[in-house]
Amino acid sequence: MRILILFLLCLNISYVKADEIYNLLKIPNLEIYKLKSENNIRYLNTKGDFKIGVNDNIKCNKVNQKNLIDKFSVIEKNLNYYNSKFLKNISLKYIVLCEDLYISDINTGGIPDTKKRTLILDINFNPKYFERMIHHEIFHMIQKSFSNNFNENVFSSFNNTDFSYAECSTCSDRLNLDLYQNTNGFLTEYSKSIPSEDMAEIFSYLMTDENKINEIIKEDQILRNKVGFIRQGLSKIDGNIL
Amino acid sequence: MIKKVKASLSEKILFIFLISLGIFAFSSFFLLKNKCLFVDEVNLKNTNFTNPENIAVMNIECGNVVIELYPDISPNAVERFKTLINKKSYDGSAFYKVVENTLIQAGDLEFGNKEYLDYSKIGSGKSGLGLLKSELNDEFEFTEGSVGFARTTEFNSEDSEFFITLKEIPIYQGEYTPLGKVIYGLDILRKIKTGNKAIYVLRPDYINTFRMLNSN
Repeated sequence: MRILILFLLCLNISYVKADEIYNLLKIPNLEIYKLKSENNIRYLNTKGDFKIGVNDNIKCNKVNQKNLIDKFSVIEKNLNYYNSKFLKNISLKYIVLCEDLYISDINTGGIPDTKKRTLILDINFNPKYFERMIHHEIFHMIQKSFSNNFNENVFSSFNNTDFSYAECSTCSDRLNLDLYQNTNGFLTEYSKSIPSEDMAEIFSYLMTDENKINEIIKEDQILRNKVGFIRQGLSKIDGNIL
Repeated sequence: MIKKVKASLSEKILFIFLISLGIFAFSSFFLLKNKCLFVDEVNLKNTNFTNPENIAVMNIECGNVVIELYPDISPNAVERFKTLINKKSYDGSAFYKVVENTLIQAGDLEFGNKEYLDYSKIGSGKSGLGLLKSELNDEFEFTEGSVGFARTTEFNSEDSEFFITLKEIPIYQGEYTPLGKVIYGLDILRKIKTGNKAIYVLRPDYINTFRMLNSN
């Protein structure tokens, strides 16, 4: 039995994963891009492709350095909206930057992981939605850390009674991220997928175009309630975020 | 009459080359096989330490590694570390996780000992003294020779395992509980057997003894 375990060990752990960053985050092929920042966020980038998660269902590719340099200022500018205390509260310390991020073969902009205090971002994500996507994913970390502030049942009750969300965010075809002309309770089609995505969409617009949202909620009672709910939940964590 | 045959110049050169090659091969077999051959060792009797109560000496295959502990930075962690050293718990502990020129890790008292090495459970062993709260310090820099308490992916899970960095690892700053720094013997630590390209080491090196200086 021991010989068998030794043999299996030789087969299974012979990958080149042995570095200090892997030891900490359990993501292979990463290197430090920027370690020191005012809000204590540490930026890492992929120096090779990686696969992680259950059955390696999360995949992302090595970054092109020129591409990374081009996108980094945008990423850092958006992360700088958050102070170190807030980021600590929502368990975010590491930003992993890679290209063409997939989870279960579905392209995604970001994957948050509060347990590892990590947010993986796809720097090739559609530039039209890129900045908003960053805040969208951060909201998922906020909600994970402060679920009591963002109760999904309370939030869902603001909708019309004849509306129902999908079973999960990817099991509907409500994926469009463009702002509706006529909002009627939802900012985007993706808002209609599940409550947490609806909240994350509102939060992302509040962070990137608050004036527009303030305009919209003058005419949209449902959205006014939803925005008020998000603002209230955030103010309990940090009064200065919005 | 036998005519004396003189060796030509090229034959002489070839002969000298073969003799040199033989000497080199012979000496290599005995000398290079000894991985500890060119390692300097500290003489503990001739060394004065300013705070001997916080000096720990780890003896491994190539000699003594001297570690200064920092109770002012991580009081609870250092107290636990000293307790385990004084109980001789680390004697025979395997350096089962070694990343070449980066870090070494030992201290699984349950599954990573010379007497009982279980590769299926190594890294999950407990000391029986319970888990400690992480004592993180944003100022402590994990430079070459830093000693830290290992933990699981969660904070507040420190128990008995420790690691020593063989190079500066800035990303560990504020992530792991500092225990101290190696003041002598980094070269000795670099001789510890690595797992080649893997993290875990098959047939690892072991700690012979681990003592506080005052107890020697």
